[in-house]
Amino acid sequence: MVRDMTEDPFEAIVATHHAEIHRYLVRATSRAGDADDLSQETFVRAYKAYRALPPDANVRAWLFTIATNLSRNHYRAEGRRRQAMAVVAVGASKHSPTWPEGEAIANQASARIDRLVATLPFKQRVAFTMRKVHELDYDAIGQSLDCSAESARAHVFQALRKIRQGLDDVDVVQTER
Amino acid sequence: MSDIPTCREVARDLVAVAAGEAGAAATQGVERHVATCPPCRDELGRYRVLEGMVSDLRRAPMPGADPTLARAELESKLADIRSRMVAYGIFPSPLGRILIARSELGVSMVRYIDSDDAARSHIARLAGDEVVEDTTALEPVYRELLDYLNARGTRLSWPLDLRWAKSEFQRRVLAATSDLPYGAVASYGGIAKRVGAPESVRAVAQALRHNPLPIVIPCHRVIGSTGDLTGYAGTRIGLKEQLLTLEGVPVSGEGHRVDRNHMYAWVGPDREYCVPSCGGLSKMPLAQLTLFGSRRHAEAMGLSPCSSCRPDLHPLPA
Repeated sequence: MVRDMTEDPFEAIVATHHAEIHRYLVRATSRAGDADDLSQETFVRAYKAYRALPPDANVRAWLFTIATNLSRNHYRAEGRRRQAMAVVAVGASKHSPTWPEGEAIANQASARIDRLVATLPFKQRVAFTMRKVHELDYDAIGQSLDCSAESARAHVFQALRKIRQGLDDVDVVQTER
Repeated sequence: MSDIPTCREVARDLVAVAAGEAGAAATQGVERHVATCPPCRDELGRYRVLEGMVSDLRRAPMPGADPTLARAELESKLADIRSRMVAYGIFPSPLGRILIARSELGVSMVRYIDSDDAARSHIARLAGDEVVEDTTALEPVYRELLDYLNARGTRLSWPLDLRWAKSEFQRRVLAATSDLPYGAVASYGGIAKRVGAPESVRAVAQALRHNPLPIVIPCHRVIGSTGDLTGYAGTRIGLKEQLLTLEGVPVSGEGHRVDRNHMYAWVGPDREYCVPSCGGLSKMPLAQLTLFGSRRHAEAMGLSPCSSCRPDLHPLPA
């Protein structure tokens, strides 16, 4: 009998990785709505390409690479959009991170960090998120960013330095003196 | 003992040490420095606290990060792509190179090809974006087809996907043709009668000319009213002869003809088969008959020898 195509091994890939990739994209794009779209797009692209993937490939790292590429393009497009908006909205209030939105969680330390993460340049932001939140190794992060593992590490450390400086202003780091 | 490194020298390493990613030399240097430098000790402490907070990010719930809706939308997108998706492979066979394609529903194309590239662009035109070459996925289908073509099987019982049938009429013609048993032939007129359109002999021939699933839907078992093979898959009449010969249907090499005088005949709905000289059979139009090359294949579909002409006692010369 013909193998049933409805028994699709890709379903297991979605089940295992979708929630994590979605979570990653919320930070990578700074907006949950964009993460919804980009996580779908990530898996649709993966679905079309995964047959060509070598059997021993690291599927998780590969999905992160697709998601990172999509969010980089998205970030660029957003940047252009923001610039265009800025021209229109002269005198609008100073840029502030659009995420998180809820005031209730604004006092939590992790929410503060996320607020700072959202202000980082793209490469630092995603390198930090992949390393510190998703615990990918530097090789995988380098692959996602199309750079060496060493550069990936430099992006993460640079992000840590900036977050550390940012936290000085809100006085959370003084606790362990 | 070397000198204790300066603030400037350890500044770069503080982050790495706090993250637990510094090498032994850097870690030692930082440790020796902070033992004597309170500001840098504080700075290292801050980085360590930060590491702790960062690790909370892994556990803390994320506002706005509920993937449920996105997941549900993704599943329905994938289901849609999957239903349009066609996988194909190109394989060698005793009948030349063959392209086989299938979808979620079943096998959707078998095609004799002259050039792999031309075949690839043909299926890409038909199937659009959602077409992938996937030899592995088609391998089991190909194996069965190969068994069939090497006379190791007489049935290809695959689920079929008739997405590339051109009309409802063609679907009916293909269904009637699928009912022709292994080792039997009928005429285009016979198929026209079976689909309830006895006048539409030419339309039947056209429908079979564009059979998307040759071999599987056995249009090679359909012949002209005089026994001529007439045509097959463009100009591949030799393949029709090869397939019929494989099934034990006697075909004369020169004229590409099936000789009804050397075949057993069956007139439905009777459940008996006869020798060709039985009763008025020899004058009956081919459109009313199904012909069998051997008694074995007639009996394989549940027919029994006619009680008057007794093909079991007086078989045709082999």
